Amino acid sequence: MKKLVILFTFVTLLLAVSACGKKEEATTNTTSNESGKTVIEYWHVNAETQGGKTVDELVKEFNAQSETTEVIAKFNPDMYKGLMQNLQAEAAAGKAPAIIQVGWSFLNYFANNFEYSSPQAIIDQYFPEDKTFLEDYFLSNVLALAQGPDGEQIGIPYSLSTPVLYINRDLLKEAGLDENGPKTWEEVKEFSKTIKEQTGKFGVYIQQPADNWATQALLESNGAKMITDGKATFASEEGIKAYQLWADMVLEDQSAPNLPWDQGIQSFIDGNVAMLYTTIAQRSNVQSNSQFDVAAIKSPAWEGKSPKLPAGGAMLAITAKDEEQKKAGWEFMKFLYSIESVAKWTEGTGYVPPRKDVAEAENGLKDFLAENEMMNAAIEQMDGVVPWTSFPGDAGLQAEQLLLDVRDQILGGSISVEDGLKATEQQINKLLQ
Amino acid sequence: MSALTAGVKRFNKENWKAYFLLFPSLLIFAFFMFWPFIYTIYLSFFDWNMISPTKEFVGFQNYIDILTDPKSYKIFGNTFIYIAILLVLNCVVPYVFAFVIDMVLKRFKGFYKGALFMPAFISLVVGSILFTWILNPVSGPVAIILGWFGLEMPIWSKMDGWVIFVLSLITSWKVFGYNFIVLYASINGISRELIEAARLDQVPLWRIFFQIVLPMSSATGIYVFIITIVQGLQYVFTPIKVITQGGPNYASSNAIYHAYHEAFVLYRTGHSAALSILTMVIFLVLLLIEIKFVERGIYYEN
Repeated sequence: MKKLVILFTFVTLLLAVSACGKKEEATTNTTSNESGKTVIEYWHVNAETQGGKTVDELVKEFNAQSETTEVIAKFNPDMYKGLMQNLQAEAAAGKAPAIIQVGWSFLNYFANNFEYSSPQAIIDQYFPEDKTFLEDYFLSNVLALAQGPDGEQIGIPYSLSTPVLYINRDLLKEAGLDENGPKTWEEVKEFSKTIKEQTGKFGVYIQQPADNWATQALLESNGAKMITDGKATFASEEGIKAYQLWADMVLEDQSAPNLPWDQGIQSFIDGNVAMLYTTIAQRSNVQSNSQFDVAAIKSPAWEGKSPKLPAGGAMLAITAKDEEQKKAGWEFMKFLYSIESVAKWTEGTGYVPPRKDVAEAENGLKDFLAENEMMNAAIEQMDGVVPWTSFPGDAGLQAEQLLLDVRDQILGGSISVEDGLKATEQQINKLLQ
Repeated sequence: MSALTAGVKRFNKENWKAYFLLFPSLLIFAFFMFWPFIYTIYLSFFDWNMISPTKEFVGFQNYIDILTDPKSYKIFGNTFIYIAILLVLNCVVPYVFAFVIDMVLKRFKGFYKGALFMPAFISLVVGSILFTWILNPVSGPVAIILGWFGLEMPIWSKMDGWVIFVLSLITSWKVFGYNFIVLYASINGISRELIEAARLDQVPLWRIFFQIVLPMSSATGIYVFIITIVQGLQYVFTPIKVITQGGPNYASSNAIYHAYHEAFVLYRTGHSAALSILTMVIFLVLLLIEIKFVERGIYYEN
């Protein structure tokens, strides 16, 4: 018996000691490896099925060609929130990775709570030859996505998605409509009504996930603003009018089904809904599972207005602390933004390329786009991209939730658009004070 | 005094081994149950977003917020509706099934047992995704079959009431088999002579069920009753998370899901912790009532 006890104690001790030992090992070898290369960490959120393979491929390729830098890719579970949490823990321990992905909704939080270097500052200091890299290769509205409220460039946009309208050409033809689909939201409503009358199928499904991304696209394209000077202002005349169109399609015409996101997409794919308004990131799902003549067209505009489309996705930011790491960080980032790397990233993830010149280039996406025409819709509308509104401060997520609640109420018919939006706007402004 | 020293002595000489052997499991309990519990109580007095390094002390504000929010009452109401539906689907129905299959049916017993238990093997996440497709009110197979009869399926995932019922159905699909097997084993263990004697006396089946089977299997029955309530709280979480995320407008949310929602979607850990503690208090009260009134009437064989 005694022997057993001793053995048990010993094993416990051994486990404890070895656990500590492991930890120590991890902290010491981050600056340089045997061959004298600078070792940096790249934190990403791409699981195996969401582009993780492409991340590994790109890192491997980079490491093979770089003489000065070795990158270690680290996957962070639970998307951008998980990464933020891990970064917090790392910061508390006085450490930091070199390059991280920051989701748009965490942009302000990241800028307010963490140390980072603006990419342009690093370029100016160490890489004068890249001075115009950002202006040369990025659209200014795309660059603006990664800017703080005061216009400082916090990071560089990397993963981008926009909403597009997928259409079932067979159903449109059956209903006697233009097979190229509607150009405006007003037309979407008419199309849907006709489809409902002619075929008995639903006209359009507008995505309803647990965020207000598509709602923002709908409202802001009509000239409403989600936020003006830190206050919610979506219940303007334009905002209400835009929301009313959606509610009318659901409640009055019954040409749009009120479904959760995955059932909505499913219903489009099996041909029961003629049009689907959702993210370009769903392209490969829609493309490979639809049994009909399917196409993706640009987000509809409102009559006489130009569309404003919130960007989904993330930017890359440099959180490296010392000089060597910063230099190595930019070297890796520049590699990631090369035409070839961006093309691979697009093919592996379904995101829209953040920089110019990728779509047409032979070494870029030319062949890919020829095969996957649906991607073009998203690439063509890049000039209409605006930042995805995140409500400021600690109550931001709650504000977001209130908008989701009112969506359920409006589309469920338990409150009118005007009352619902106005009450929600007031509630949110009260929260934000 | 002498009793005390004797006690200490016995502790020293005899019991230390027992305590020592208990220690590992105690350690696990302490780490994974007691500590989180105490930490939850602690968090319920703070305003914290899970990322920020500072926690702000707010006293009872989180509790006040929850108790003054009409949403909370809706959610607690939902919680009890879930439990009520699941008690019928997962306690009453399997009881009757177990009785019928054991005592009434003559053939295919093995098949029924296997078939009914099967879903218990399948992950509820997978089940939820399957049912999202099967019960898709626009284009799922059920909607198509109903369409043949000219019936239109309600868009359940966006309708108050319906949504709770359908999510309960999905949950019970998973839980039913286990409860059924447990009850079946218990009913199967009842002495056949008793049943045969009753049958010779021409006692109708429903009386056999209510007056012989039910009392004699009540120890297992109460176990299934209680785990059904617990599962009603916990298992429902999965289909809520996968299918509705608590919507439409909290119509399908229950206390456990909402605690998750507050903590891991809105990052209001204080609210979430306070809600968890309140939920625990409610169920503690229910448990006390159960012990006081129900436990007495239970028949334990040994």
